[in-house]
Amino acid sequence: MSWHTEIRSRLLHLLLRRKVDRDLAEELKYHIELETEHNMSKGLPEREARRRAQRDFGSVPRYTDDARDERGASSIDSWLKDTSFAVRSLMRQAGFTTLVLLTLAFGIGATTTLFAVTKGVLLEPLPYGRTETLAQIWSSWTGFPQTWLSYDEYEAWKTEIPAIEDIAIFYNSSANLTEGDEPERLRTASVVAHTFKTLGIAPLLGREFTEDEDRPGGGNVAILSHDLWQRRFSGDASLIGQTIQLNGIATTVVGVMPPGFRMPLDFAANGTTQVYFPMATTPENEGAIPGPEMQQNGGSHGFYGIVRLAQGVTVEMANAQLDNFVAGLKREGVYNPARNFRAFVIGMESQVTGGVRNAILILFGATTVVLLIACANVAGLLLVRGERRRRELAIRIALGAQGTRLARLLFVESGLLALSGAVLGATFAFMGVAAVRRSAPATFPRMAEVTIEPVVLLFSLAVAMLAAMLTGLLPALQATRVAPGDELKEGSRGATSGAGRLRWRQTLVSAEVALAVLLVVGAGLMVRSVGNLLAIDPGFRPDGVLAMRISTPSAWYPDSTRVVAFWNGLQRDVAAIPEVKSVGAVLLLPLATEMGDWGLAVEGYTPPPHTGTPADWQVVTPGYFETMGLRLVSGRFLDERDDMEGALSMVVNRKFVELYVKDREPLGTRVRIGGNSPDSLRYAIVGVVDDVRHNALTREVKAQFYASLAQFAKAPGNTRRTMSLVVRTDGDPMALVAPVRAAVRRADARLPVSEVRALEEVVKSSIAAPRFAMEMLGVFGGIALVLAAIGVFGVVSQVVALRQHEFGIRAALGASPSQLVGLSVKTGFRQVIAGLVVGIAAALVATRLLGALLHGVKPTDPLTFGIVVFVTGAVALLASVAPARRAAKAHPNVVLRTD
Amino acid sequence: MLVLKLLSLEPMHGWGLSYRLRQISHDVFDVNQGSLYPALQRMLRRGLIKSEWRVSDNNRRARYYSITAQGKRQLNEEVTDWERAAGAINRVLRFSNG
Repeated sequence: MSWHTEIRSRLLHLLLRRKVDRDLAEELKYHIELETEHNMSKGLPEREARRRAQRDFGSVPRYTDDARDERGASSIDSWLKDTSFAVRSLMRQAGFTTLVLLTLAFGIGATTTLFAVTKGVLLEPLPYGRTETLAQIWSSWTGFPQTWLSYDEYEAWKTEIPAIEDIAIFYNSSANLTEGDEPERLRTASVVAHTFKTLGIAPLLGREFTEDEDRPGGGNVAILSHDLWQRRFSGDASLIGQTIQLNGIATTVVGVMPPGFRMPLDFAANGTTQVYFPMATTPENEGAIPGPEMQQNGGSHGFYGIVRLAQGVTVEMANAQLDNFVAGLKREGVYNPARNFRAFVIGMESQVTGGVRNAILILFGATTVVLLIACANVAGLLLVRGERRRRELAIRIALGAQGTRLARLLFVESGLLALSGAVLGATFAFMGVAAVRRSAPATFPRMAEVTIEPVVLLFSLAVAMLAAMLTGLLPALQATRVAPGDELKEGSRGATSGAGRLRWRQTLVSAEVALAVLLVVGAGLMVRSVGNLLAIDPGFRPDGVLAMRISTPSAWYPDSTRVVAFWNGLQRDVAAIPEVKSVGAVLLLPLATEMGDWGLAVEGYTPPPHTGTPADWQVVTPGYFETMGLRLVSGRFLDERDDMEGALSMVVNRKFVELYVKDREPLGTRVRIGGNSPDSLRYAIVGVVDDVRHNALTREVKAQFYASLAQFAKAPGNTRRTMSLVVRTDGDPMALVAPVRAAVRRADARLPVSEVRALEEVVKSSIAAPRFAMEMLGVFGGIALVLAAIGVFGVVSQVVALRQHEFGIRAALGASPSQLVGLSVKTGFRQVIAGLVVGIAAALVATRLLGALLHGVKPTDPLTFGIVVFVTGAVALLASVAPARRAAKAHPNVVLRTD
Repeated sequence: MLVLKLLSLEPMHGWGLSYRLRQISHDVFDVNQGSLYPALQRMLRRGLIKSEWRVSDNNRRARYYSITAQGKRQLNEEVTDWERAAGAINRVLRFSNG
């Protein structure tokens, strides 16, 4: 047959169904009339003639239907019919439908959200050219696992390491933009001229820096980020070639970077680079030896490095070459072997997302688990429903319905549910992505780029289809196997059968409980871990403290006297605000900015060979210690006495004393900053304070000293231009924002204020990664637990329904209601126990993945496991008690009469 | 095959067809007359016959079926097949009788 007549026939039928049906009816009627006339012509009376005509014709409705089916009505038409039937039957059972829809929507919503995150963070290409051959290069020393490289190393790696085709260095800083009404503090990067070329990217507008601009005195030029250009200059293309005020200096804009471009380290930083300057330096400027020659230990280290690997070179090969070369430098005595110097590269993908890859994959795994549970539940609910409908289906089959047609009906039903679930799930996913973006730590790389795209929505649709297949398959398969005789018999006897079908459900429920245990254990471990983190004493009191960063650029504050005068004036003004208890300023806010160290010479202390006397350095103004609530161990805090004229004084931490002034009186001990070089300054220790966990709550405290801003600035080049103001109050610190900002404006309206935060927020965001994992696992664990409870509820309901007759008989024989409840709860509980055992076994293996996120709690923490077992067991028990009570209520007579 | 054969002689309506079938076969094909209609619909869908409403001999509206070119080809094939099969059966019968 030709396909077009076939299709035309089907379509025509669909469009003209009424007319065709009418025609057919008319035709059949005409046939019977002619036959009647024919019979009458043979001499029969009219009534007998008509009766015989009808008898010979057979059943009119049957042939009408058959003819219609032959005409091609069956497929499209009956699909439509099935759909509308499914809609009606789903609407009739609103409770069931809502439960299934919500279950599916949770599963699909969670999976889609995490897929959006996975795609945005891990799968989207980075904004560079040929990212696979890009890498970040680092140095490492004892105590500094991943740190800067020096100018000498930059030149040496470039020429001596064949695996490195090109290398570019940069450093980050910040600048004040004073265009328009509102001054703004911006993150900047000073880059060598070929940096963007190395990254394989060109500016969107204008050009890169030239080699001439990348020399000292090469002119004040800058390239802007797309964001800054849009935000502050409304995307005006004529900005190229014009000058803007940066740090009080007229700077010519020569280019604008493309949207979405970021420096490699910006992905994990609190903010992105907005302005690029040429580094404009020379080896001489950096105290380096031009060319591949190197100073002792490589000289001073202060640059980040980006590497373009040569064609066909892997990260491992490059690292092998670097190791080999550095080993040679150590043999020649260029590097001191005791400091364990190493240079190594990290592939760009791992550099940017390596830190969160595991967390995301864990969470993606967790949501997949939730989706599986959701599917299992929906399948279970459909099975229960199928169970109730088995007799309906059996009767239909007995009346001549085809098994495949019934299977299709059930399939259409689950497909409808899955599609509606997908729509609802997509809505959940939009909310989920918004929530994840809000709650993710600011240092979470690429989180800002996560959106729900068409691909993500397609994924959600695919997940829904999969869910439909999974959930529709079981009931559909069962339906086709219904043998009418058996079913009707079984139903009428009402015996304890249906066990075969129940086994499926029970396996599903065990799996659900196991998966829920897995997630809840993960969440429990994270809760314990975050609790431990919050219990750590940071060494200061963050409550009631407001912090903000203020910079005093050299264009307006050319010498340290003026900087110190500014801070003194500002502190006096802020202290006059009535709610302010105390005020101070600090160079590096604890838990916000990492601290570097400085080589010292401590009187009476001789370091072991090759180690030196390093201590982390902190610069503060009087009032800082009181404001932060640091604890004084002995001596005094720094105060007004320690000004530019006073005797040089420092405060050290407890660790400093333990390491360098052990068994001696620390107060009065002399310390030289800058080692034993002749121009170093000699300080005297005037106080000892308790340790502050500066770099991270969990990191070991290092020796640390505090010097006052006024005295530290006496050494040339030591003027600190960016400090954080800290203000303590008894009330809400955020209420002080407006009056303190006003005080800054009164002091100097040109100065931008940035990173205005309550110190408690700073502390919290320093443990943002484990908190984020805790929140996510908590949410997913909760969903999993609820879904598993629904599953247990379903299976026990089914058992109770199936065994009602048996229970009735038992009741008749004298079983008490509580015995019946116990009996039905027991049937559900066997699966729960199985699920708990499997779940714990799986959790013991899987929680190891959490390793790095856990603090002070083992992945196999017995307390957590115990609580989870108890909670999950209790929830499952509760879920099975409700339906079990129905069994107890059943009166023997009623039950026996059900059929 | 029989329906196609009858229609290849002249267009007919449903009852006419059923009457002629009974007549020619001397009521050998004694099935429900209604079963003719699904068969007609099947042949319509496969493009072997076509139908149109016409006024019948006794001045009533009736649907007349006629054979299409494709239907004629189908008929020829079926007739050839049938004759070959029938011939073979006849030969076998004759052989076993002799």
